This record gives sequence, C-alpha cells and structure tokens, in this order.
Amino acid sequence: MKNIKKYLTVLRISLQNAFVYRSNAIGGLVFYSLFIFVFFNLWRAIYQGGEAAGYSLTQMVWYLCMTELIVFGCKNGIYNEMNEDVKSGSIAYQLMRPYHYVFYQFFNALGSMFFNLIIYGVLAVVLGLIMVGPIPNFRLSLLPWGLCSVILGMVINFFMMMTLGLTAFKLEDNLAFFLIYQKLVFMLGMFIPVEFLPKWLQGIAHWLPFSYVAWAPAKLIVAFSWEFFWQVIPIQIFWAILSLMLALGMYSYGVRSLQAHGG
Amino acid sequence: MTQLKNVFKLIGLYFKVNLASALEYRSSFLMQVFGMALSNGTFVFFWWIAFAQIGGRIGGYDFNDVMFIWALTSTAFGAAHILFANMNRLTRLIISGELDTFLLQPKDILVSLLCSKTSLSAWGDFLYGFILIALTQGNSVMVWLMFLLGVVTGGLLITAICVTAHTFTFYLGDASLIGNMALEFVINFCIYPEGIYRGFIRVLMLSVIPTSFIVHIPLKLARSFNPLLLVVLLTVSFFYCFLAYKFFYRGLKRYESGNLLITRL
Repeated sequence: MKNIKKYLTVLRISLQNAFVYRSNAIGGLVFYSLFIFVFFNLWRAIYQGGEAAGYSLTQMVWYLCMTELIVFGCKNGIYNEMNEDVKSGSIAYQLMRPYHYVFYQFFNALGSMFFNLIIYGVLAVVLGLIMVGPIPNFRLSLLPWGLCSVILGMVINFFMMMTLGLTAFKLEDNLAFFLIYQKLVFMLGMFIPVEFLPKWLQGIAHWLPFSYVAWAPAKLIVAFSWEFFWQVIPIQIFWAILSLMLALGMYSYGVRSLQAHGG
Repeated sequence: MTQLKNVFKLIGLYFKVNLASALEYRSSFLMQVFGMALSNGTFVFFWWIAFAQIGGRIGGYDFNDVMFIWALTSTAFGAAHILFANMNRLTRLIISGELDTFLLQPKDILVSLLCSKTSLSAWGDFLYGFILIALTQGNSVMVWLMFLLGVVTGGLLITAICVTAHTFTFYLGDASLIGNMALEFVINFCIYPEGIYRGFIRVLMLSVIPTSFIVHIPLKLARSFNPLLLVVLLTVSFFYCFLAYKFFYRGLKRYESGNLLITRL
C-alpha cells in the first residue's frame, strides 16, 4: 500500500506541474492544428471519389484526429530523458532514491499524458467538427471503451520509448532505433489505417505492436464494434505487459553494468 | 566580390572543422545518417499506398512528381542543416546572451552564427534526396539540373525563412514558437502536392513562406523548362535571402548584451 501511495504522490505532483505550466502546451496545440489541417487537405485530395478501404472522408479525418491525439498525448520526452540520464550518468543519483526508476518515470509521465489527453482531446473534437462534422453513427456511451484502448495504446508507446531510451546503456547512439520505431508506428496505423495496406502486410502488422499504439484505438473511436473491441483489447494488454517487461529487463540489465565514479 | 569570396571561404572553413569533429565519433555519425535516411524512406511507402488506392493523381501530382519534391525537400533541408544548423537555435543564442561571442569576431556575424554548428543527421537527409532522385527520376539532364539548382536555392530559402522567424526575438522576446512553426510550415508545405492547398495558403506559399519556390517551381521547371520562370525563381530567392539578412541586422541593433562569460572551444 505504501509503495502505491508514493507513486500516486508522484502522479499528483506531475499532474499539478502539467496544469501549472499549461502555457507550455500552446506550441503543441498550434502544431496539432497544423498537422490536422495538412492531413485534412491531403485526404480531401485523395478522397475525390467517395470511400477508400471502408473509410469515408469524415471517418478518415476523425481517425487522423484520434491518431494524432494519441501521438501528442504521448509526448513526454521519455526517450530523450532516458538517453540524457544514462549518457550524463545522472541515473546514478536515481538509484539511491526510495522508488523504482522505471515506475517513477511512468507515474511522472502519466500526469502530463493525462493533461495532454484532455487538452488535445478538446482540440481534436473542435477541429473534427469544424472540418467534417460529427462522426457517423457515433454513440457517446461507447466512448469510455474506446478510451480504454487509447490509454493502452499510450502505455505500449511509453514503455517502448523507454526501452529504446534505455538502450543508451549499451549503444553509443540509439537515434536510428528511435526513428525506425517512430516511422513504424507512423506507417502501420498512425497515418494510414491498416486496412489500406496490402493484404500480406496487414497480416504482419497484426502480429506487431506498432498498430496497437494508434490504429486499434482510433478505429474503435470512429467505428466502434464489440467484436473488434474484444479482438484488440487482449492483444493491447499483452503488448502493454510485454513492453513493460522489456523496459524493466533493459533497465536491470543496464544498471548491472553501470559504473559510478562519484563527483 | 572579395567580400562574397570571404563569406564562401568562411563557410568552407566552418564546414571542414564541423565535419572533422563529426567524424571523430564515426559510429554515431553513421548511425544518425543511416537512421535519418531510413526514416525518410518510409514516406515512399506511404505515397505508394496512397497512389495505389486512387490510381491517379493527388493534388495534380503523380507518384514521380511527389518523389521529386520529397527528394528536393530532403536534400535542400539536409544541405541547410549541414552548413547552417544554428538557424534553429538563434532564439536560444539571443536570449541566453551567447550572441556576444559572435559580435566580437572579425567576420560576418550572421554567417559565423549560422555556420558554427552542424547537424549529423542532416547528412542522412542530404544523401537520401540524391538516392531518391536516382531511383525514381531516371537520368534526365534537366531533372538533375533543376534538382541541383533547387538544392542551392531551396537550402538558402529554408535558412532565410528560419532566420527571419527567429529574428523576431529581437522585437518580441522569445520567438522560438514562431521559429519552430516556420520550420514546420516549410516542411509540410514542401512535402505534399501544391494542389492540395487552396486560397490563403497558396498565397502564403508564394510570399511570406515561399515554399513554392523551394520545391514546386523547380519541379515545374524540371517537367517543362521555362527560362522566364527560372529568372523569377532566382530573383525571388535572392531577394528573400537579402531581406532576411537585412532584417537580422536591423534586429541586431536592438540587442543588449547580458555580459555573459562563455568559452567556445
């Protein structure tokens, strides 16, 4: 109980910080609007003739509002922070503190993720309504189930990023892995729904974690079905646990070979 | 003329020093170059899927046209960030007072300021464009000529746009948001077909943020050469860069030193 309490305190402080420094989000809101505007123009040009891969233009714009919401919601600099902590050696100071480093970082990021989800969520709804109107057949009562998937997607992304950041223990430069991961999430769901991919690639995408960060949650929001919900939620839970294990494994492996020289 | 020669000499010297410094950490350098090129490469996949879905043209461009603007954006952006990587740090340098060091140097302040930093990953962007052009555009002399010309004018225009945006720091205080926005606008208006934008955005692309002159006009010239359009491209590029240069020096007059003591090694 005591253990959970200290992490909840970390979460409370990070939430307070996010609300106190809310003006920091202005830049993000501008960029979010810019990306949605660009994507809206692009997909309007692509969708000159009705539907594509089962998505209408309205659904597609809302889909992009949701995937961008997840990406912006996840923006917490965890990859850079891990890299910086490991490379500068400041991770050594964290080892003496009465918490587990991985869980501390997670609860510390949760506050800003929650804050981001609210402000970008409001902006996503406003932009979606202005550009294409409401989502066809949308039912507000089903939104909480879609949000469960959004949160799981953000958790998978967080621990994947953390794992990549922690590879700094062994690699001189891990930027290439970060860029590749980012683009895989981008191409396997964030920018284009998996249904747009060739059949052979759809099969591969279903076995990888990348599509469960943005595609599955966004599809649940714009075209909810219980069948799809029960299909993706167990897979998302599986990837969330596996990515957590990976982060924990990478951390304990890295810390074992850490040499601190005082100073 | 001698002054211009000195500027090129200074850029060349900075380039040599920065490259030597990058090559000290060879594996890190190669990783960043490889990562950036691969990361850019994924967009080819997106466009392939998009064109496969509709099978025609998007915003008036076909697949090869999009590859041309992508290649040109990437290489021009790469060239600008290899030579003038400080363009994105101008606000920070002004606010922190680090500008003082450059004011004391006997060379052109803006050139020294821009050239004193390089970006390793920009080499990935730079090379990626050449690979993409070679793979998608064949060996048409006109395409290669317009591509190379576009790299020079585009690289200078990208730098000029960023310098202009960050110069607002002299007038408004922290203008990092304006600077970051300008760069995002440049990238997003360059890598998508011009025809997807309408009205006010098209006016913006031809004036304040002249992205049409960075990639879209070089593409038009590569597809159907028009000497008049070439003259327009060169004139606009020259004047935009000239105005950005003058705007920076005008803003610099408002700068007040914070007496910060720093060492540049």
